[in-house]
Amino acid sequence: MLNNRRITTARWWNNKKLWFLMIFLLLITFLRFSKSLIYRDIYYFISKPLWPGQFQREILLKSYDKELNIKLKQLEKDNLRLRSLLSLKKTTDKLKIDSSVISRNTGSWWRKIILNKGARNGVNVGDAVVGPGGLIGLIEDVSGFTSSVKLLTSSESKVGAWVQRINTHGLLIGVGNDLPMLVFYSKDIDIKVGDVILSSPASTLLPPNIPIGIIESINLDSDPNTIANVQLLANPQAIDWVQILKSKI
Amino acid sequence: MKFSLIKITYLLLSFLLIPVLSILNPIWFSLMGVQPYWPIFWLLPWSILNGPLNGLIIGFIIGIILDSLNNDIYTQIPGLLICGFWFGQIGELRDRYQYGLIASIGTLICGLIYFSQLLVNNYPNNPYWLLPFGLKNVFGQILLTGLFAPFFSKLLYELFGNNVKHNLFKK
Repeated sequence: MLNNRRITTARWWNNKKLWFLMIFLLLITFLRFSKSLIYRDIYYFISKPLWPGQFQREILLKSYDKELNIKLKQLEKDNLRLRSLLSLKKTTDKLKIDSSVISRNTGSWWRKIILNKGARNGVNVGDAVVGPGGLIGLIEDVSGFTSSVKLLTSSESKVGAWVQRINTHGLLIGVGNDLPMLVFYSKDIDIKVGDVILSSPASTLLPPNIPIGIIESINLDSDPNTIANVQLLANPQAIDWVQILKSKI
Repeated sequence: MKFSLIKITYLLLSFLLIPVLSILNPIWFSLMGVQPYWPIFWLLPWSILNGPLNGLIIGFIIGIILDSLNNDIYTQIPGLLICGFWFGQIGELRDRYQYGLIASIGTLICGLIYFSQLLVNNYPNNPYWLLPFGLKNVFGQILLTGLFAPFFSKLLYELFGNNVKHNLFKK
């Protein structure tokens, strides 16, 4: 009995100091090879209440907005300079004339509206007219006090358009109903219902990048060009106030 | 047709309504955005009372006025010339509703002539897409003009005619 106890006590795994030493060595090894990840995680939880708060976040966001605005102004300047080099149309906020609709003919042969601003207010033939939502037409003729707008839905209307998603040009043709027809110059066009249509950035008739409408349906069977119907963003039947964008080359 | 001062006033005021209504496009007279063909209402009683030559001349004048209002490459003059001449040869209409029928046929003539100009001008671009638009306008105008002509044209006929008492409000 006595002999047995002696032998048992002498085993190495019964040595508590040895166990402590082994665990310590393992911990050191883990810490060495974990590259102090555990320290950082512990630091994460300890320092969490002391992080930069919402106030600092707002400051950062405002700084970011300012940075983007500066970039935008710079790009606008570049854009205007390049457009003037190419002799394309341009507009600025200073060249907008607010006007109200005094006559509306949106359903018969002549799809046009008459505005209460004319040559005396500086309106010229060819100026673009936008309503809430986007482009509705171009000034067709001007009298002293009024001007007549040829709507995009008129069968006589043809303007260049730009599909933003696929960077492709098309020709927007009025067909006398409320859905003008967008004709592309080639057959293989990756166009989808819902694509946004803007005025063409290369147009010499219209100021660039004015929203026009969205693709409502596509006629893939048409030959030789792909044809789509466009739902205008601005509805001329319901518009009472418009803006005339005075364009200058 | 004898002209008195009051009759000339009626004539001028009602004549002025043609371009005014063409610009105004009163929504309460429209069907799917289409308006009646306003000049027919005036041209019909005038031509019946004054004969084909006067109808032809007035048709030409109204055509010039409306063309100048719309300022496009198409013209309404041929249709109004034909209508003015034809209305002048009809003679007096007995029934009120005959005004509606004649006005509808006149509108059909004017509408088809105008639409054919659109088709010819757009012919190189395969203008099949103009058909629904054109037919809607032509038949919308026929319907509305035929509907209102028994009232408007008959009223104008009585105002222009010799058998009307010039002061309508005096018994």
